[in-house]
Amino acid sequence: MTTATQTSRIAQLPPAVKAVTLPALLIVVWQIWAMTLPETSPAPAPAKVVQSFIELTASGDLVWSTLQSLGRVLAGFCVALVLGLSLGVLMGASRAVRENLDPIIESFRPIAPMAILPIAILWFGTGTPAALTIVAYAAFFPLLVNTVYGVSRVDRQLVRAAQTMGVNRLRTIATVIVPAAVPSVLLGSRLAMGVAWTAIIAAELAVGAKSGGGTSGGIGQMMFVFYAYSIDLNGIVVCMIVVGVIALMIDRLFRVAEHRLLPWRN
Amino acid sequence: MVSLMETRTAKELAEVASESDVDRKAGARYPGSVRAQGRFWQARWFIVVRAFSVFIGIWYLVALWVASPIQMPSPFKVLEALIALGRTGELFDHALISATRLVISLVISTLIAVPLGFLMAMNREANAFIDPIVELLRPISGIAWIPLGLFIFGVGGTLPIFIMAYVAFFPLLLNTIDGVKSIDRKLMSAAETMGVSRSARLLHIAVPAALPSVMVGFRIAFASAWAAIIAAELIGSPSGLGFAIEWYRQLLMSPKVFAFIAMIGAIGYLCDLGLRTLQHKLTPWAEGMGIGQ
Repeated sequence: MTTATQTSRIAQLPPAVKAVTLPALLIVVWQIWAMTLPETSPAPAPAKVVQSFIELTASGDLVWSTLQSLGRVLAGFCVALVLGLSLGVLMGASRAVRENLDPIIESFRPIAPMAILPIAILWFGTGTPAALTIVAYAAFFPLLVNTVYGVSRVDRQLVRAAQTMGVNRLRTIATVIVPAAVPSVLLGSRLAMGVAWTAIIAAELAVGAKSGGGTSGGIGQMMFVFYAYSIDLNGIVVCMIVVGVIALMIDRLFRVAEHRLLPWRN
Repeated sequence: MVSLMETRTAKELAEVASESDVDRKAGARYPGSVRAQGRFWQARWFIVVRAFSVFIGIWYLVALWVASPIQMPSPFKVLEALIALGRTGELFDHALISATRLVISLVISTLIAVPLGFLMAMNREANAFIDPIVELLRPISGIAWIPLGLFIFGVGGTLPIFIMAYVAFFPLLLNTIDGVKSIDRKLMSAAETMGVSRSARLLHIAVPAALPSVMVGFRIAFASAWAAIIAAELIGSPSGLGFAIEWYRQLLMSPKVFAFIAMIGAIGYLCDLGLRTLQHKLTPWAEGMGIGQ
């Protein structure tokens, strides 16, 4: 009887209260647990994380590192965009190209971006170009696959209509096929930006780990320095939250773009 | 929802697309789509062999042109290294370590994510409480947990397992929720009307109905875990494939680096093939459900 009334009472709570309950509980338990530890313990605590966030923001380190990482992601993404789109349109439009390239593409796809890092370091050293390579490699596959899909899905009747009216092949690609592929390309871009952001963190972390905290910077490197040198776990948690927030923002940005550019799809 | 889009290959997607109604109406667009049977130069295996021969040929020429065995070893050197590593057993030792970690983490993740997914999909209250925390954690990639994980677990085998289990958790959970929510309510009500017990309804209706989506989630979970393990082992583990590639990079033994990378690709490809076959066997009815289901 009591349990029944209790559950109904819980059900009547406003959605916002329900949403906040568990995260709030988690933070409170975490803070209490941290307060039981001796003062010298490096364990992170919510209060210290907030303090660390304020300090890192005030000094400008956090903003600068984030911008550095974002810049690398954008540059790598642009490289992947150019390669993925051009190859994707070719593969989507021509069956011969698709059949011949597909085995090669598919054998590279299961190779994680991070597995390419040792090669990238051998080629470019432990600087920004190595990180860019990883990002471009990671972003390339979702862009390519979705472009191929978008292009091969184009309404054949439209292509035939264009051909009947004497439009040449190149112009058909530019005016019929590419616009029709835009929704898929946008989806591919969103997925690509997601993996690219993960890849840059991994690359910066690994470069930091392997070059002994070099000077290349970025938020991944910042995390590694906090781990290996200053043992600042609160700083690491701040970086993790920033990584999450940026990932969320990138995703939302592309979703908004999809809504704006393709209003008929909603 | 995590869609099939992420697991399908470009060719599969293109084929699904070209088999659409629009295309069928318009007739065969590609001259090659009506192909003569039995001509071996048009057979799938021949195209694959040819593509790889061209690829290896170009690789060989590039290696000749670069003329630096450290930066660009020739394909034959890599093959030699592959055979040598296979002989000493080192290749399989590291692969086995990574594969064991992968299996452990996927089992942990499945045991937590699938029941939780069922709970969240069937109980609105549970969903209202748990969903926010899932959505808070989800944008934080597994990679970002590596430094904190290193501190908690130290350098060793636990860190990769933790990172992979975390990474595999979200696609499994979301796809399970999605699968359970897609269950035909009428089937459930019909069974309830006929007095079928709750556990039997769960076992005979909900589980089979959700299975295709769970399988898709599992394939995505595997793919993301296999990508994450390389990063985790490269940074924080003294063994495994991710460790091996970076170790030989530091020793400037490039053919061995390439050999291990090939192994990473081969295992990833074979496992996905296996999972795909399992998916077709377990849920043959899901074939026609199309993309994005």
